[in-house]
Amino acid sequence: MKRRDFLKFIGAGGVGTGLGILFGQAIKPPGSKLIPYLIPPEDVIPGIANWYASACTQCAAGCGILVKIMDGRAKKVEGNPLHPISGGKLCVRGQAGLQSLYNPDRIPGPLRRKGARGTNSFEPISWEEALSEVTAKLKELSDKGENDKLYLLTSALSGHLGRLTDDFMAGYGSTNTINHDLFDYRNLRYANSAAMRLDAIPHYDIENTQYLLSFGADFASTWLSPVNLSRGYGEMRQGEYRERGKFVQVEPRISLTAANADEWVPAKPGSEAILALAIAKLIVDSGHYTGADASAWKALLAPFGLTYAAEATDLDKKKIRHIATEFMNTRPSLAIGGESISAYSNGVSGLVAVNILNHVAGNLGIKGGVRANDRDLFAGTRAKKVGPGIDALIRAAEAKEVGMLLHYNNNPAFTTPGTVKAAEALKNVPYIVSFSSFMDETTVLSDIILPANMSYEDWGDHFADPAPGYQVATLMQPVISPVYKTRSLGDTIMELGRGVGGAVAEKMPGGTFADHIKESWSKLYSQNKGMSASALTFERFWRDTLATGGWWPEGAYKEQKLSVTPKRVARHVSKEPAKFDGAATQYPLHLISYAQAGHLDGRGANIPWLQELPDPVTSVVWGSWVEINPKTAARLGVKMGDMVEIESPHGKIQSPVFLYQGIRPDTVAMPIGQGHTLYGRYAEKRGANPIEILPSTVDKRTGVYALNSTRVRILKTGRPGDLVKMDVSTDELGRNIVQTIAPGATGKVPPSSHH
Amino acid sequence: MKNLIIYIITAVIFVVTLGVGYLIADQYLGRAPEQPINFSHRIHAGDNEIPCMYCHSYAERARVSGVPNVQRCMGCHKIIKTDSPEIQKVAGYWDRKEPIPWIKVHNLPDHVVFPHKRHVKAGRKCQECHGPVETMDVVKRIAPLKMGWCLKCHGKYDVKNGRECWTCHT
Ligand code: SF4
Repeated sequence: MKRRDFLKFIGAGGVGTGLGILFGQAIKPPGSKLIPYLIPPEDVIPGIANWYASACTQCAAGCGILVKIMDGRAKKVEGNPLHPISGGKLCVRGQAGLQSLYNPDRIPGPLRRKGARGTNSFEPISWEEALSEVTAKLKELSDKGENDKLYLLTSALSGHLGRLTDDFMAGYGSTNTINHDLFDYRNLRYANSAAMRLDAIPHYDIENTQYLLSFGADFASTWLSPVNLSRGYGEMRQGEYRERGKFVQVEPRISLTAANADEWVPAKPGSEAILALAIAKLIVDSGHYTGADASAWKALLAPFGLTYAAEATDLDKKKIRHIATEFMNTRPSLAIGGESISAYSNGVSGLVAVNILNHVAGNLGIKGGVRANDRDLFAGTRAKKVGPGIDALIRAAEAKEVGMLLHYNNNPAFTTPGTVKAAEALKNVPYIVSFSSFMDETTVLSDIILPANMSYEDWGDHFADPAPGYQVATLMQPVISPVYKTRSLGDTIMELGRGVGGAVAEKMPGGTFADHIKESWSKLYSQNKGMSASALTFERFWRDTLATGGWWPEGAYKEQKLSVTPKRVARHVSKEPAKFDGAATQYPLHLISYAQAGHLDGRGANIPWLQELPDPVTSVVWGSWVEINPKTAARLGVKMGDMVEIESPHGKIQSPVFLYQGIRPDTVAMPIGQGHTLYGRYAEKRGANPIEILPSTVDKRTGVYALNSTRVRILKTGRPGDLVKMDVSTDELGRNIVQTIAPGATGKVPPSSHH
Repeated sequence: MKNLIIYIITAVIFVVTLGVGYLIADQYLGRAPEQPINFSHRIHAGDNEIPCMYCHSYAERARVSGVPNVQRCMGCHKIIKTDSPEIQKVAGYWDRKEPIPWIKVHNLPDHVVFPHKRHVKAGRKCQECHGPVETMDVVKRIAPLKMGWCLKCHGKYDVKNGRECWTCHT
């Protein structure tokens, strides 16, 4: 090798190594930033989770929750195992609550309407501007002397927030507080108040009953307090050291709850009340009922003979008699009434009938039956008599009698029948203020939006209604700081009240809403010796209560006698079946619109987890469907997934067909929840809303729109629908996977098993 | 012909040494980025013998060791050396209620979990991975923080499940 070549090699090597090192250093990622806390929050260790107790507000049940917080972010919600309602469990909506907290479509801060009303054109404004504008408008109305034209429309607000809004309205001089939720059990409250003189919803003691007869209460997914009742149901069926209770579900379609029952009794829609009263009559006539007023009951129930009932309900006489016998002879037994008995024009009557049935069978005020709940824990925080309903607001708005509307956390433009034209009516209101978190069909009608914190970001409390037989007060604390520029609703109301001045300002407590809650709980602490037994000072008690999630005198059930008298209920008992819109000849099918497990009244539709979650009965995701019995479908010439038109006398919608064996051939059913025109990117323009084609029929006693009060017809469109379901087939395709034996054949042993 | 061979050999040497250079940089040359404050570990941990975990207070309790919060700095520097321009910078951040934007010296990819807590509890000295920090005026990475390097140590101390994938990649 020549010297020159050697030098060349050395040179190449040197330059190569040098460039390599430079290149290696250059492509090293630039150090990312390492940002310390300025002042570290108490109890925070980065990367280690803290769990804080609070309450779920995704429905009114108020399950106690624990939220996992890591580095200032809420990461998971679980049931609070100490809490008597949830007992450490949660339903899907509770689990998915985090996606409402971190939802990208949340209203990020105060907005003022810019374009025409309802066109969803808003501009951001500051909180100062927003508060002073609303205060000025409230003063203006008051200066005109039209204080009683102020309306407040909210979902039922529990605890101190409810009391604060009541005080605000009373101080301002208006009685027009309207509580509305599609499923707010107004009919149930009314019926219980009329029949049993109960304002608070009683505890339906499913856990301790031996025979449960449910008239369409879908307690496994949505009814009343689903987590609590499902836990009770689990105990009833599989609890240790006890006999397994029997469960019969009366419902025109097999809901998730009915799918768990021993017997499914598909009574004709609208005849459920007659069935309940016929069973009651059989019980009274049998001599099982021994009360002094037995003869009065006999007279009242006289029209509900077996022949009439069998014809009205489309059930076998033997079947009805069988249920009656089992219901009275199994002790204790319990009847409950859910949507499919109350969603009619005479819904209250159906629920009164259930109360009568419980009374004559001897199920009232006993363990395993209906147990009264204690009264208020804090004066004015618990359910009162049924007040005016959403129909009252809509009528007032149509008559231009509403001067100003404060709106929070419900969506009547979506949850009231299309024929009611709620949105049109609300457009007559000169000034609408909304405190809602999402731009939905109702919030879009506002003039100004002052978005409230979500419950995870705020102080609050909740008093269970129904409670489990004793008081349950759940505390909510801000488990994270607000994600957006929102504000505590309590603080906003207090500030508005103070700004308006006069009587309403006097009614407003001092300090912040958080101070107010603590102050109020301290009064409770000093009154209630039982409460303070384990704690020395109030501060100590407060800390313990925040850590455990609230206060409840575990197991302290006080016996309370309950009864129904013929005199109280006589006016609610009628022989007539429910009324339906649409002549049977033209519209041959009943339409049942039901609460879907994830979406409830439509509020879950903006949560992708809930959209993605297969419906527990049909396994459908991300859309609507209409359940049709295969026999009916064959007659109509439609098959699974076909797009059809569902037409009532009030309008039509489209939805793909889901063939379902578990529905009466004269009935079709649709889940509620989809069909939003406005409710964020995950909900909009997806599926159809069956409420759109419902009539404005109400039960006059409560003003509740009757969901099941129309007939429909199904028309082919000839197009395939967009049905996405997770199970491929419900057919075993001749593989003999599910072996069955006909009823009555149990005595005969098949030849192959002879030994 | 002969020239061509020489050229090819030269090119091969160039490419190979380029790689070697890169590896040297990647494996043995640390990082010592400039920080927003000219903070000296030598003064704090060396001369004044402040224990590491006085400032990196989460190391024995959590996955991360924690950068000291600004309040902790000011706890001492309200009184100590308030006339130093660097301390005045710290005080400036404190007055503006701004956290100090330190630059990371040690960084691990997201697919690996390194819990400080376990290593501290197992009796490892901070210096085994971070080097003699108490002698450094500017902190410099001394270890490659690569899997092979981790495993060498796991082998040396006979760590239980120390070679299982999911011990670190969870
Ligand atoms: S039932 Fe479900 S949605 Fe309702 S409070 Fe409980 S967890 Fe929340």
